[in-house]
Amino acid sequence: MKNFDSLAASWWQLNGPSRLLHRMNSTRVMFIQQAIHNRPMHKVLDIGCGGGIFTETAARIPGVKHVDGVDVSESVLEVARAHASIDKAVHSKVSYLKGPIEDVTSLTKESYDVVSLFEVLEHVDSPSKLIEEAMTYTKPGGSIVLSTINRTVLSYLTTIFMAEKILKLVPDGVHSWSKYINYGEIKEFVDKKPGWNMSLAKGSMYVPTQGWILNNCPSEGNYFMALER
Amino acid sequence: MLRIGFQPAFRCLARHYSTAIKDIDVAIVGAGPAGLSLAASLACHPATEHLKLMVVDGADLSQLDKWAPTSFDNRVVSLTPNTRQHLIDIGAWTHIDSLRVQDYNEMRVWDGQSNARLNFDSDDVDQDAIAYMIELKNLQRGILNRVREFPSVQIFDNSKLESIKPSRNGWPGDEWPIIHIPGHAFRARLLVGADGANSPVRHYAGIESTGWDYGMGLVASLRLEYDDLSAIAWQRFLPTGPLAMLPMPDGHASLVWSTTAANANLLKSVSDEAFIALVNAGFRLEPVDLAYLFSLTDSDQIVDEVSWRLSTVCDGLVDGTDVPLPVVHVEHKSRAGFPLKLRHADRYSAPRIALVGDAAHTTHPLAGQGLNMGQGDVQSLATVLQKAAELGQDIGSQLVLDQYWGDRYIVNNALLGVIDKLEKLYSVSAWPVVAARSWGLEILNEITPLKRFLMKQASK
Repeated sequence: MKNFDSLAASWWQLNGPSRLLHRMNSTRVMFIQQAIHNRPMHKVLDIGCGGGIFTETAARIPGVKHVDGVDVSESVLEVARAHASIDKAVHSKVSYLKGPIEDVTSLTKESYDVVSLFEVLEHVDSPSKLIEEAMTYTKPGGSIVLSTINRTVLSYLTTIFMAEKILKLVPDGVHSWSKYINYGEIKEFVDKKPGWNMSLAKGSMYVPTQGWILNNCPSEGNYFMALER
Repeated sequence: MLRIGFQPAFRCLARHYSTAIKDIDVAIVGAGPAGLSLAASLACHPATEHLKLMVVDGADLSQLDKWAPTSFDNRVVSLTPNTRQHLIDIGAWTHIDSLRVQDYNEMRVWDGQSNARLNFDSDDVDQDAIAYMIELKNLQRGILNRVREFPSVQIFDNSKLESIKPSRNGWPGDEWPIIHIPGHAFRARLLVGADGANSPVRHYAGIESTGWDYGMGLVASLRLEYDDLSAIAWQRFLPTGPLAMLPMPDGHASLVWSTTAANANLLKSVSDEAFIALVNAGFRLEPVDLAYLFSLTDSDQIVDEVSWRLSTVCDGLVDGTDVPLPVVHVEHKSRAGFPLKLRHADRYSAPRIALVGDAAHTTHPLAGQGLNMGQGDVQSLATVLQKAAELGQDIGSQLVLDQYWGDRYIVNNALLGVIDKLEKLYSVSAWPVVAARSWGLEILNEITPLKRFLMKQASK
């Protein structure tokens, strides 16, 4: 969390320390649109919303009426609120609450069409508890969409060694490899949950002139998953 | 057409305090074909039809409504099939007076010094025509009337842009621009500069534009000896610059003579008879004869000299086949000159700024591509914004706008480069260059597949 507090001020610089997150944005929406097809998306819960990059985008997607963003860092939430206040189209549709989500009482259970956990699971001590918490907020027929990183030698090389230490595309120390979660581990966990199944999974990688592209190898590197209720 | 100026800063302060600032999604500065086409493209597409748009221009657009000409205007442009299709797609083509549009399916181009020839016809491309000649006013009025059909677009004409300033409570480096026009102030999510070669929006964004000047372009509206019902575009490359005659309906034609400033001044100042004589001579006589004629100042003498030379020249040039039909009439007050130049902006995008059309690039008219490049910009920017809106992106974000810049810059740069090289190639008189380029032209004339390929590229 200390890492994110210090990133707060520069969160919205498009070419700053969070630049890869900004470039992930449209890929996240494309994945959601593939996973959800034409099912309704009116209410969204963005867990680990950070400075609100995805939260604001979700508020702009045609049909979305409200987005709640939750994060554990108060300084980052302040940045999120300040940024959202600039854009009237977004301002009235987003709300930011201090987490962790387990401590939040003001949000309605089972009321969200989409609950998002983008780049969150690899930063918490108990990812399975967090997924379960997210499940309690999902409407029947709704979905959880998440993105995280596989715990493989390749992902260490790309996301930590190259990205943080050598190319400095990501601020140093943001990720710790032991917290990475394999795609198979989440799938196994979800398969045991009655009423839930994994509806879509895609791998994702960053190509310098094209941004983040989706591929069909969710077991390597970064990946997206959609869990349907 | 576009008149935008800045008033001194102190005059702005009084107005600023009394004007409430309204939010707008896209503010388009400039109501020329590029600006209006962008407004129509965004307003008619489902992904962007919800955006609040405005178009602002210092000119009085009601003049277009009052335009009821008895003759053809002197400012005409050549539309490629791609541009025409785009205008159809955005619903603007039906508002254009098609009786005043001339499609042409043949081009005859030749070297003024060696007479090497290159002929194109529309069989070389899979289209009904190579291009379409249209008066600029007809085009502008047509797109304007389409834009007027959308309640989501506010049009402010007779409105000089007073100032552009970054919003004071914006995000550092990403401030929404605030524009002041008489009686109104707007805070724009995206500010588009469709405001011509001296673009104030480009200056606000701090974007540099580099290039160089050519000579002068002289335009005129002409009537030919008779209407031979063929629609052919003629262009002769003289050492002083290309001389083009573009077909218009009913035996009329439009002249675009790119030449030196001194020659342009002569063409503007002599009598109608002398002017007609010089145009007819321009397509038929040798450059050395033309140089002599342009050194004269007396209109009657020019008429006599041309008449004598044309009667003694017996190299079998056939009117309507090798050269255009003779000009017999020039429309009153239709002779006008404008400076020719090449300019290219370093970038087309900045945070919350995009440039389209002449604001981004200007080129030599010899290939008839300038306006079409602008329409290509509009198509690209509209597509980028539509995709971004579908993905919930902030359309003013530089991440979005840079995609437009990347899409158009290389294409435009290449075309500007080719046109510039052609201008330079054909301004040389040294015989090795003339021989080489003539040989190249004649070979090209014989290689039909290559000709077809080039024509397809040019009509994109």
